[in-house]
Amino acid sequence: MVQSVPSPAPQTSIRIIGFLCNWCSYGGADTAGVCRFKQPTDLRVVRIPCTGRVDPLFVAKPLIYGVDGVLVSGCHPKDCHYAVGNLYARRRLEVLKNFLSFMGIDKRRFDYAWVSASEGQRWQQVVSDFSERIHQLGPNPLAGKGIPQPVQGPLTRAT
Amino acid sequence: MEASATTRLHQEVEASIGRLSTVLGWGAGYDPLHMTPLFVRSPEDIARLVWNPLCVQNLTGYLVKSPGVQPPEEGKKIGICVRGCDSRSLVALIQEKLISRENLYIIGIPCRGTVDIRRLMNESGLSNIRSVRIEKDLLIVDDANGAHNLPLERFLARRCLRCRHPNPVIHDVLLDEPVTPRTTAEDAYRDVESLEAQSLDQRRAFWSVELDRCLRCYACRNACPLCICQNRCIAETRDPRWLTQRVNLPEKFLYHFIHALHLAGRCTECGECERVCPMEIPVTLIKEKLNQITRDLLHYEAGLDPEAVPPLLTFNPAEAGI
Repeated sequence: MVQSVPSPAPQTSIRIIGFLCNWCSYGGADTAGVCRFKQPTDLRVVRIPCTGRVDPLFVAKPLIYGVDGVLVSGCHPKDCHYAVGNLYARRRLEVLKNFLSFMGIDKRRFDYAWVSASEGQRWQQVVSDFSERIHQLGPNPLAGKGIPQPVQGPLTRAT
Repeated sequence: MEASATTRLHQEVEASIGRLSTVLGWGAGYDPLHMTPLFVRSPEDIARLVWNPLCVQNLTGYLVKSPGVQPPEEGKKIGICVRGCDSRSLVALIQEKLISRENLYIIGIPCRGTVDIRRLMNESGLSNIRSVRIEKDLLIVDDANGAHNLPLERFLARRCLRCRHPNPVIHDVLLDEPVTPRTTAEDAYRDVESLEAQSLDQRRAFWSVELDRCLRCYACRNACPLCICQNRCIAETRDPRWLTQRVNLPEKFLYHFIHALHLAGRCTECGECERVCPMEIPVTLIKEKLNQITRDLLHYEAGLDPEAVPPLLTFNPAEAGI
C-alpha cells in the first residue's frame, strides 16, 4: 500500500469546500480515511445526494464570499447512482469553470473530479493536489469583502 | 423607407386582425423619440402601431410574464411583431414549451438596428423634443434648439452592432426584404475578447466597479424574456435564502451570477438587460461570455432551432473532454 503523499503543512488558514456525492466520492473519502491515507485538513466536506444536485451557484457563492477553493466530486460518468446526474453536472460545471475567470475569479480555485467509493488512493491524490494548488494561489482576494457586516444605520452601506 | 415599413405593418395587421385576439407591437410613447409597447385589441388601434429604429423593446416577455397579454380567445391567435433578436427569444420560449407556436401569428421585421436612446440623449443634448423624422440613415430631431441631423449608425445600440441575426428566424409573414447581418459569428464576441485580454485582477477590478453600481432594482431580470420565475426568483425568495437585502458587493456579484447562470445556454443576446439597466452596467456582456462558452464547448447557439434542446437541459454520454 502506498503511504502518504506529503500533504502541505497548513501555512495560512485556507478554506476549501468539497461537495461530495453520497454514493461515490464520499465513500471514496471514507475509504481513504479507513486506509489511513494522509490527507490535507483544509477541506470541509458537504455530502450531497449526487453531483447532479450541485447548482453552479453552490460553487459561485462561496467563491464570491471569499472561500479559497471549491471541489466537487462524484461518481465517474456512466457510473452515476441515478444513472445520469453527473452527465448533467459535468456540462454545468465545465461551463461554470470557464465562466469564473471572466468575472475575475481564478478558475483554478474550482475543480471537479470523479472518484469512486473504492478509489481511496485516488481521492487522496485529488484532494492533496487540489489543496496544494489552493495553497499556492493563496487566500481568495475576494475574502473579507464578503463577510456580511452588521448594518449600522438605515443609510449606512454594509461594505 | 421607415414610413412605408409602418404602412406595411398597418396593412398586414389590418388584414389579419380578424384572426387575432391581440397584436403586440410598438407605438409612440411620451415623446416622439420614445416608443412604447402597444397592445392592439381592436381595429381602431392599428393606426397607432409604429415600426422604426426607435422601437427598442423586446415584446416576447409579454407572452410569458405578468402583466402580459391575455391568452388568445377561442380559435384566435396572438399576433406579435418581432425583430431578429426577438424571434430568437420566441424560439427559446417555444423550445422550453412556455408558449406554443400554434397560438402565435408572428409578424417578422428584418431590422437594420435600433437606437441606443440613452446614448443619443446623453451625447446630443436634446431637450423638449417636438418631432422626429427618419430619412434613410438619418434621424432628424426637432427640439427646443432647432433641428438636429443625427446619423443612425452612430447611435446604434451595442447589441445591434454585434447582431448576427437581423432577420427573424421564425415568422408567419415577413414585412421587408431580408437584410445582411452586420457581424459574423467571430466578430460578435469582440467585446468579450477585449475584456478577456486583460489580466484576472484587472477583470476583477472591472466587475467590482461595474457591479458596485448595481442597485438590485431587478430591471434586467424583469426585462429579460427568459427570466420567467417572476415572484419565485431565488434572488428574492426567503426560502431558499440566497440573497439578503444588504447592499454590498458580494451580494451584487451573486445576483448577477444567478441571473447569468440561469440563462446559460438559453440567453439569445437580445440585450434587453443592458438596455434597461439604469446604472449602465454592461450586463449583457456577462451572458455573452456564457454564450461564447456554450458555443465553443457544446457547439450550441440559443434561439435558432425550435426543435433543439438547450444544452444544459440535456446531456450526452459520449461527450469526451469535459
